[in-house]
Amino acid sequence: MLDIKNLQSRIGGTEILRGLSLHVDAGEIHAIMGPNGSGKSTLAQVVAGHQDHEVTGGSVTFKGVDLLELEPEERAREGIFLGFQYPVEIPGVNNAYLLKAALNARRKHQGLDEIDAFEFLKLAKEKMAMLGMDPKFLNRGVNEGFSGGEKKRNEILQMAILEPELAILDETDSGLDIDALKAVAEGVNSLRDPDRAIILVTHYQRLLDYIEPDFVHVLSAGRIIKSGDKSLAFELEEKGYDWVREAANG
Amino acid sequence: MMRLPTDKLQAIVDRLPTTRDEDWKYTDLSRAREITSRWLDAGGATVAAEIAEDIARITASIDADWFVIANGELRLPDEIPNVTAARVNAAPTAENALAELNTALLLDGLRVRIDGTPAKPVGILLIDGAADAATSQSYVDVEFAAHSSGELIEYHVSLGATDHYANGVVRIAVGDNASARHVRIQDRDLNHVQTGITHVSVGRDAKFSSAGFDLGGGLVRNDILIDIANPGADISFDGLYLAGDGQHIDNHTRVDHRVGPAISRQEYRGILNGKCRCVWNGKAIVHEGADGTDADQANHNLLLSEKAEIDAKPELEIYTDDVKCSHGTTVGQLDETSLFYLRTRGLDQGHATRVLMHAFAAGLVSRIPVEAAKATVGELVEARLAVLINTDEDFS
Repeated sequence: MLDIKNLQSRIGGTEILRGLSLHVDAGEIHAIMGPNGSGKSTLAQVVAGHQDHEVTGGSVTFKGVDLLELEPEERAREGIFLGFQYPVEIPGVNNAYLLKAALNARRKHQGLDEIDAFEFLKLAKEKMAMLGMDPKFLNRGVNEGFSGGEKKRNEILQMAILEPELAILDETDSGLDIDALKAVAEGVNSLRDPDRAIILVTHYQRLLDYIEPDFVHVLSAGRIIKSGDKSLAFELEEKGYDWVREAANG
Repeated sequence: MMRLPTDKLQAIVDRLPTTRDEDWKYTDLSRAREITSRWLDAGGATVAAEIAEDIARITASIDADWFVIANGELRLPDEIPNVTAARVNAAPTAENALAELNTALLLDGLRVRIDGTPAKPVGILLIDGAADAATSQSYVDVEFAAHSSGELIEYHVSLGATDHYANGVVRIAVGDNASARHVRIQDRDLNHVQTGITHVSVGRDAKFSSAGFDLGGGLVRNDILIDIANPGADISFDGLYLAGDGQHIDNHTRVDHRVGPAISRQEYRGILNGKCRCVWNGKAIVHEGADGTDADQANHNLLLSEKAEIDAKPELEIYTDDVKCSHGTTVGQLDETSLFYLRTRGLDQGHATRVLMHAFAAGLVSRIPVEAAKATVGELVEARLAVLINTDEDFS
């Protein structure tokens, strides 16, 4: 589904990704772990198409399409979803408006009719119930005055409604207390699907107690230096990142 | 009231501010002078156009107890509980040529006193529609009695293709422990001229919340003067101006903190597209001894065209030590992170841009202190914005 080969990127003249390769198939959950500054968030942003990152080498294909040629909105319509580490607050724009506009953009791309107001409301309420969200959040400004946990849950709601084929969740666990973390993890788990791949970008192993990954990758200085199954995450928790770094250098 | 002879009136017109005055350096009142002189030459009488339907439409759009001043003539409504109203024919002493002109040519002034908590907002519709080029004056004096809690809507409209110049004076006095919520809507024809001075004074522990919306007008100058002479005042006011080709909108604000503690906050936002010019000049003066003053002013502008021009100037004068003052001015583009966020949700660049511009304006609509006016102001803002940024999208 997603094929990243020897990806290199720069931001403001600083090299961040230095030859990163990753292959993700439908139905899989991958965890990308690594210390601060290793390039985890950059990877998420480059795949989503953030213009500040200049790709200087390598390739990214999604379902055989060259992703690097596409605008961020085209990538979204193709089925890529980026869950933000810091979801943006947009006072004055209803949550419902954004959800509907996003869904219709995707549907139009798929050759489907726009969803009508009644069907949309039904769908949104159903997904909110699944995530344990109060329907009143639909009529509030996008993330306006939401707590950290509410913002992250709202990201998962967008994901649930858009039904992406590939979801990249950037530090979805950061800043959450244990209850909020559990709620978000439950939401993500409910979206596990044989046709959907999920990439979890995280600093801590904690999230992986609740969302079990099929693969764990350790990122350091812009490259994946070690890959394994979920036991790698436990090993990291025990021994710290220096352990893999040393192992990789030695 | 006997009107002054035409040559005396013309002498006042000749004394109206010019761009040589520091406070008027960006705003040229030549058109106001020209329209008024032409109107005086033609006899200084206004032939009203048919505006009954517009009055009915506007007063029906917001649930309020309405006073209508049409072409300068006041119609007093039936009695309203907790609201005392009277016609006044003389505005108090004039302090500059604009106020002098107002006093000299005023037909009907309106004085309103609000006691207790009226059931509905007091709405004042100042509407002009003349068959020929004309000048109109308005004077409104609203007192919120001590301990009252009330709402005031000022709705300024002028219609028709003929030249029009409206000059208004508003005085708002908020009594001790009173809470006043105020909204000003200016929706004039895009060729008309307006000057307006609003004086606000506040009593001890009084609260004044206000929002102004300049949606129309070819040449508009608003002066908002707020005087804090009693401790405990809490003042906040917002302003939104939407300007397109040929428009000039100038907002001058001045807050005098004479005593503390007191809070004043203002936030003006503007969206400019096409060849137009806007001015925001926000002055806060913290006088000697006004300890415990907390003054904040902000002005944010979105310029969508290279031909659009904004002159934004915050001015702080502080003559005491124990104060907290801040100001921020931005002129620029939309937030890149927000744009990226919307695009990752599948909205194309154009759509995402329109959504954020809508949000920029709607942020102030959602804060309108007069709940009854929110929906209508929201629609007016949306309609004007749709023309400015050329879209017919419904963002609800």
